[in-house]
Amino acid sequence: MNCEVCQLKELEVEHFEIREVLRCILHTIVFHRALGLIRPKDVDLELFEITYVQCGDVELEKKIDERIDHFISWVEKHPNKKSQICLSFYEVKSKQPSWFTNKTERLYWEQWYVNLNVTQHPKHHSSKSHHAKVVVDPGESATEDRSSRRAMVEASLREVLFQIIKFVNEKKDHVPPISDGVIYFPYEITIPSSSDSAFGMDMIKRMLHSGHPTMLS
Amino acid sequence: MEMDRESGKLEQIVSQFRSKILHVILNSRIPSLHHHYQQQEPLSLARVRKSDKWFNLVLGDRAAALENLNFSLRNLLDPMIIDIILVHHSSCSSSVDNLYTPSAAVGSPSDETVIERWVVQYDCARVNATPSGADTSSSYKKTYKKSIILLRSLFAQMRLLPAYRIFRQLSSLSQTYNVDLVYKVSSFSHPFSREEEGAMKEYSFVPVEAFPGRLCVSVTYRTALSDFNLEPLVSLPSNIITDYVGSPTTDPMRSFPSEKGFHATSFSIRGARPPSPSPFQRPHSWSSGFHKGLPLMQNQSLAGSPPAYRTSPKPYDVVSPQSDIYGNRIRSRLPTLQQATAYDEYQLSPPFSASASPSPPAYLSGANPVVAHHCSETAPVTIPFPLTGRNSFYLSLNSSDPSRHSLPPLSPRSSKHDASSQESPSGIRSYRKLEALRAGESPSGLSINYSAQKMVRDTKDDSGRFSGLLSSSGSPRIGFSRSSSRLSFQDDMDDCEFSCPFDVDDIDVSDSPASQNIEGKKALDFTAQSVPVGKKSQDAAVGMLVHMLRTAPPLRQDPSCYSTHSSKTVGYEGGVGTASGFFMPCKTADALEELKSYREMRDLLLSKSGTRVVRKEGTRVVRKEEM
Repeated sequence: MNCEVCQLKELEVEHFEIREVLRCILHTIVFHRALGLIRPKDVDLELFEITYVQCGDVELEKKIDERIDHFISWVEKHPNKKSQICLSFYEVKSKQPSWFTNKTERLYWEQWYVNLNVTQHPKHHSSKSHHAKVVVDPGESATEDRSSRRAMVEASLREVLFQIIKFVNEKKDHVPPISDGVIYFPYEITIPSSSDSAFGMDMIKRMLHSGHPTMLS
Repeated sequence: MEMDRESGKLEQIVSQFRSKILHVILNSRIPSLHHHYQQQEPLSLARVRKSDKWFNLVLGDRAAALENLNFSLRNLLDPMIIDIILVHHSSCSSSVDNLYTPSAAVGSPSDETVIERWVVQYDCARVNATPSGADTSSSYKKTYKKSIILLRSLFAQMRLLPAYRIFRQLSSLSQTYNVDLVYKVSSFSHPFSREEEGAMKEYSFVPVEAFPGRLCVSVTYRTALSDFNLEPLVSLPSNIITDYVGSPTTDPMRSFPSEKGFHATSFSIRGARPPSPSPFQRPHSWSSGFHKGLPLMQNQSLAGSPPAYRTSPKPYDVVSPQSDIYGNRIRSRLPTLQQATAYDEYQLSPPFSASASPSPPAYLSGANPVVAHHCSETAPVTIPFPLTGRNSFYLSLNSSDPSRHSLPPLSPRSSKHDASSQESPSGIRSYRKLEALRAGESPSGLSINYSAQKMVRDTKDDSGRFSGLLSSSGSPRIGFSRSSSRLSFQDDMDDCEFSCPFDVDDIDVSDSPASQNIEGKKALDFTAQSVPVGKKSQDAAVGMLVHMLRTAPPLRQDPSCYSTHSSKTVGYEGGVGTASGFFMPCKTADALEELKSYREMRDLLLSKSGTRVVRKEGTRVVRKEEM
């Protein structure tokens, strides 16, 4: 089985926009990969005039918010850096246990890389609650610049969403069969660790598990 | 056999796929169907109907219209073409539309524009192909899985296309617009014109293999919808009503707008977008709870609901800043309105009725708003002039000189002194009495005259404050205390037989019970004729008057006055019928000195006016007797 990789278009966002943007992108991806019985839930972004769709699973929402919080913390420690968040879908395969590997292994069949370029130094901490409102950055003074910049980010985000839909439509064969009672495929969200070397180790570990080199689209 | 079963499954998948797509599209584009969906109670996934579980996408029960459509399009080989049409209402389209604000952008009435065209087709190139056993066994599973993915992406994409914004605006319950989104489902369609094609883009979803054919879904959509002016026809006033009628704290003396603005209350009306209300078109708090209402004539200005006006030609300028593009985005996404038919009923519902509000506006009756105001609240206090023989003099004077309304008549205590010379009037003087003095009809009172005139000036300066008090002929404004001078007045000008609650003289509470009884009776008489005082502002004005009189230097000190008024209650605050007197005890000598000074002033004034001082000696005689 191939591991399809999708590198999403880089988005230039400000610190206070990270949460909303990541929520939108990650939930959209998961929605397309939650092939079990769901009741879709429309969610309107507060900062942008975009509506995305969630699965409606509360646990999923919590997990995604936790990972976003983790990512934001990382960004705050590494300001003005290009960052990446990886959403991977895998299959769990049982394997003969050996002293190198565990009983089960993860076969990654799809990976999504969300590329963000956080442009501004974080001035305040975002709330960890997933019900918190987005705090508007008070730094920007020019309203026109802010609105034009906001429009650009919105257009870029819309492009990213279209990119996801296009990718999902074009590549369907690698998607594993749907198991009964399972709402969404197992997934993991990887946040780059504090050091690049550790992040690289994560990649190598993933490659070992998947058994083939990562293909970049 | 197995192949037939498999092909049957495939056919079922294709059929359900078409139904599901239709359901998804119409739920995301037609407001009435969306409302139908919103009103359903979300069942747990375990209790979802089997028909709703297809493609693992729970959308809720289908509206009846959708069921009928499914039945009519059972031929799976025919394409299913779903047109989403934007209908732009104009004034000429229908009798109901005559009430709407006519469209300025589109010339022809009720323009219809296809903003999206969805084509769902089972493209079966090889109808007679016979799939192999191995292929069929898993083909429908793969087809089903891929159909699920396609439907997911279609569901998500519907929220990203331009028409979604319009849909959200029209789905907003707080406003209605001059456009509607309707749909047309058929198996054929008229091709777009070149001009239309130029304004549209096409997106085709990757077809899903459904052996022997494939499921194809494509959409042709308008990229820009800014040409369509979404003009809100109704908007709920969101401003806070600062001068809410009916509040106990509302100033009863507030002037109300003219009759023009009070044909009806400010209920939400289809067809009118209220701008910020002018001072004469005050919104009312009861209008905030109404979403729909009677359609409004374009040029009709309703009370409290300002006339309609056009918004700027931007299709997505909606309502509040927070809601922005999507209308009331912050609002609950689960409106409580009924289905589309009920929606229409709301539009034709009668206007606001008084019963719906706890404090209905009095001007619903269409009466004079000032009168209506008085109907709803206590009228300003007017203290009438009792029509007695003794007071007829005042009345005549009233009629002759309007300016004489400014001074109150004699206090009731003064009327009581008819019976007892020992008693002194409460000291309230009227301008008319002073005029009579000038004319030689009244005895003493020079000093009083001066004071009264002074008070007249004061009261004229404060005409706004005391206007309510002075509107009638008998409202007392000024209380002079005192004494024998008042006694003389009583002799000449008849005593006020009514008690003025604002007497300033009778401050002293050591009045004798005997006099109190008589005074009390007269006070009661007065109150029977007077309008009860009940207004805070009235009382405040009276209080000020009393304070003036209290702080005014006494004319004369009369011990007998203490005895007569000592037991009287001092209750001018809302005091109905109390013959209150405010009497500042002072030494006799001081009072005499004062009297002298007043006399001198009176003489001076009279000399200036050329009026002879009459009975000056008589007054002195009386004073000597008292002393």
